[in-house]
Amino acid sequence: MRMLEELAAELVGMFVGETRLTISVLAIVALAGSLVDFIGLDPLLGGAVLLVGSLALLVESVLPGARSPGL
Amino acid sequence: MTWSIAAPAVTAAFLAAIVEVVEAFTIVLAVATLRGWRPAAWGTTAGLALLAVIVLLMGPLLDHVSIHSLQLAIGILLLLFGMGWLRKASLRAAGIIPLHDEDALFAAETAQLDQQAQRQKRNLHWLAGITALNAVLLEGLEVVFIVIAVGAGRGLLIPAGLGALAACALVLVIGTLVHRPLSRVPENTLKFGVGVMLSAFGAFWTGEGLGIAWPGQDFALLLFAALFLAAGLIGSSLARKRRMEFA
Repeated sequence: MRMLEELAAELVGMFVGETRLTISVLAIVALAGSLVDFIGLDPLLGGAVLLVGSLALLVESVLPGARSPGL
Repeated sequence: MTWSIAAPAVTAAFLAAIVEVVEAFTIVLAVATLRGWRPAAWGTTAGLALLAVIVLLMGPLLDHVSIHSLQLAIGILLLLFGMGWLRKASLRAAGIIPLHDEDALFAAETAQLDQQAQRQKRNLHWLAGITALNAVLLEGLEVVFIVIAVGAGRGLLIPAGLGALAACALVLVIGTLVHRPLSRVPENTLKFGVGVMLSAFGAFWTGEGLGIAWPGQDFALLLFAALFLAAGLIGSSLARKRRMEFA
């Protein structure tokens, strides 16, 4: 039973290591998808939003770690 | 299958497997050192068998999912997983969180097994085997995910799986020869590289899942990898500077 719990925790931890980053990435994907599907934005621009957004989120997610060690 | 996508997929599976197998090997070695190779070997074999069952169950299931849904789901998961690894590797490279220490892990695991042995006098081999199984299963789970994620939907499951198996064999051979934790493996550099590749795959497939036709098709992956590498390095460098300011 304990092994199953550890397995489940490992699975969740693989994708939700840092909650703020996870939520932000999901929001960027939702935004890019909505812009393409509902607003009718050129899919390539939607792709640019996804890519640039992900890169910006990555840089931003590292910076708070400099103030709060152990994040 | 094109080499522009097969090569990064196999490389990502190989490098990620090295990182995870080195960690699992440290624990298996601790088990073998304290209780002998027999419980370590059966625990490892049982763990690998369970991982194989997971792959065999997941493979046919994925065949029933439409390619766009599969790309979107796996793309998002890869983006989350890859960016998580890249973020952690950047923080480690900036000196904000400590580097993974295989020697310390080996010492901690050995001490824990010793304590368990003192508490529970019976079934020590069983306990040791379960510890090895647990390590192989938990560390291997990430490798299984990476193999399925980079391989599914593109007919690359077997090449990616072989890449991961080659890494397992390499670590096992070297580990058995040197008979000590493989602490000199540049784990953070490998993690950084794998994080870059998985994030690039994630962005690429999420986009394709959303109906975006990337210019240059599969070659866009290389550009994405370069951009994620640059973002990781910039983030790490900025974090290091900021850490100095706050110190």
